[in-house]
Amino acid sequence: MASVTRVVRNRLGGGEIAELRERVASLEAEVQECRQLNIRLAELCDVVAELLVPMAERDEAATAAALDRFRAELGDPTR
Amino acid sequence: MAATDRRPDAPISALVVDDDGLRIEGRGDFAVNVVFGEQRVLSFWLERDTVARDGTRFFAWPAQLKRFLNGAVTVSLRSPVDGSTWISADAVLGDGQGVVAVVDGQGRPLGMDKSMKLHRLFGDSDRTAMEPLAAALDDVLAALERAGVQPFVAYGTLLGAVRDGDFIGHDSDADIGYVSQHAHPVDAIRESFALQRRLLAMGYRVQRYSGLGLKVLVREGESSWRGLDVFGGFLRDDMLYLMGEVGHPFRSEWLHPRGTARLGEREVPVPAQPEHLLEAMYGPSWRVPDPAYKFTTLVSTQRRLDGWFRGLRTGLEVRWRRFRARSEPVATAPSTFAAWAHAQSPAGACFVDVGCGRGLDVVWLAERGDAARVVGLDYFAPDLRLAERGVGAAAGEGRVVRDRVELTWLNLAEIRSVMETIARLSRTPGPRVVLAHHVLDATEAHARRNFLRLARVLTREGGRCFLQVQVAPTARSRAWRLRALDRDELAALIAAAGGTIEHELLTSELEVGLADPEDEGAAAPAIMRMVVSWHR
Repeated sequence: MASVTRVVRNRLGGGEIAELRERVASLEAEVQECRQLNIRLAELCDVVAELLVPMAERDEAATAAALDRFRAELGDPTR
Repeated sequence: MAATDRRPDAPISALVVDDDGLRIEGRGDFAVNVVFGEQRVLSFWLERDTVARDGTRFFAWPAQLKRFLNGAVTVSLRSPVDGSTWISADAVLGDGQGVVAVVDGQGRPLGMDKSMKLHRLFGDSDRTAMEPLAAALDDVLAALERAGVQPFVAYGTLLGAVRDGDFIGHDSDADIGYVSQHAHPVDAIRESFALQRRLLAMGYRVQRYSGLGLKVLVREGESSWRGLDVFGGFLRDDMLYLMGEVGHPFRSEWLHPRGTARLGEREVPVPAQPEHLLEAMYGPSWRVPDPAYKFTTLVSTQRRLDGWFRGLRTGLEVRWRRFRARSEPVATAPSTFAAWAHAQSPAGACFVDVGCGRGLDVVWLAERGDAARVVGLDYFAPDLRLAERGVGAAAGEGRVVRDRVELTWLNLAEIRSVMETIARLSRTPGPRVVLAHHVLDATEAHARRNFLRLARVLTREGGRCFLQVQVAPTARSRAWRLRALDRDELAALIAAAGGTIEHELLTSELEVGLADPEDEGAAAPAIMRMVVSWHR
């Protein structure tokens, strides 16, 4: 029934185009979500390299220093 | 007042100046300089930036300019291309006293840039006044070079250097660009993080605007700083994406090896074939001066740059604007929320107030004297500084123990900031009580998820998380720019983060002391309080 409705609507004009418009809009949103992973991935790589490595070495002083340095290097505007 | 003078071949045939703006008769759409006496004050496009009114084009005075419009003035409309006057008219504006002078406190001329912001513009400054900027530009270019990228002057600065061998008269800042050695956004962002670290190690102050955009601050005189924008970019599959506005077919040989161009009395680095980058920035007509230029960046480019690199500073610009205009509402007393959370928390807890603002709740919690530690976190630096002052004053009066209070910057939109906060605070003794008083409804989805990530780790050893959010809009929530959240969506978000809602309470602004009885929506069930835990 649904497909019959679609065929009729498409025959009348506009239905298919409206459907494609919706599909394009949702695809655009999905592409944007994927793009947003870039900055998250870069941030996570940075956390691993700058914080997790000193922590994994279980060096208390180095960990504290790494945390302080990491925050300073984020560009904390109050500093 | 009627036009007093008009060039016969001018594209503008009549000009009337009054307190509201300019009424112009003319044909076509082109850039127009508005000159008071001999001082260029602003520029606009005759059709694009005006509205039709009674058969004329009407240009309303920008709000920022209005306070200057008192007294007599001769207004001329001139060609930005050759400087010739098309038409001029005399007028007496405002209170009619004296003459109109668009100047700063020290009597120095001001003008509007292409974003209609009032600045001291280069064209109104003499060479010696330009020297500090030129020196700062040199300084930052050299620092970037040392830090391992190949910078060049960009946007208006590149345009001025290539077209006129000097800064552009209607500009007010200097811009720098560089193109990453990497072809993938992730690698370009990581390179930008490393670049920021190297600049900091060299002693510069650096602010991050996006994954690929920095502002480098250079000290200028005793107490002032000048910020130069550094726009990163990357080249991939013969497309150049450069922060700000560029997404354009491009070849690497148009960039490297870099050449130089004259900028006033100095030589500055420019791309190998700068005309290609200028065309990418300003279109094929970049050689024609247009002080009212508006970028016509493709939506697809905007979407790409937004998606790849932006979203770290959501809402910050609005906060600053409202803060400077003193139009932000501010809390004047500690919240009942803090008292509500405190009453349900054990002695010896560590309170973490996320979005602590000016620190009224932080001080109130510390004053109770039973908390092991009170931590205030916020992303808006002016608020944190005020909080610091409040805590200092309370400590001075012996109301709080200074060592037990900590105020730190946290940006929920930035994973690095959230992770660093988690790592640091999970080393303080618990149990921890995480508070968020109108934070989740003041930020966006990604930051809400990051907040829950933070709350989960900090509270899982016997702590709890207390939330207060807006669930229906009211006059107050609009003034505070809060977006009412859907209760079920919030509950789903908490469940997805592994949290359990132990208790929830639907209440009103009146009930929680945020509104007076006569306020619109004060008694409506618009406020949701929740207690969330992640006990193992």
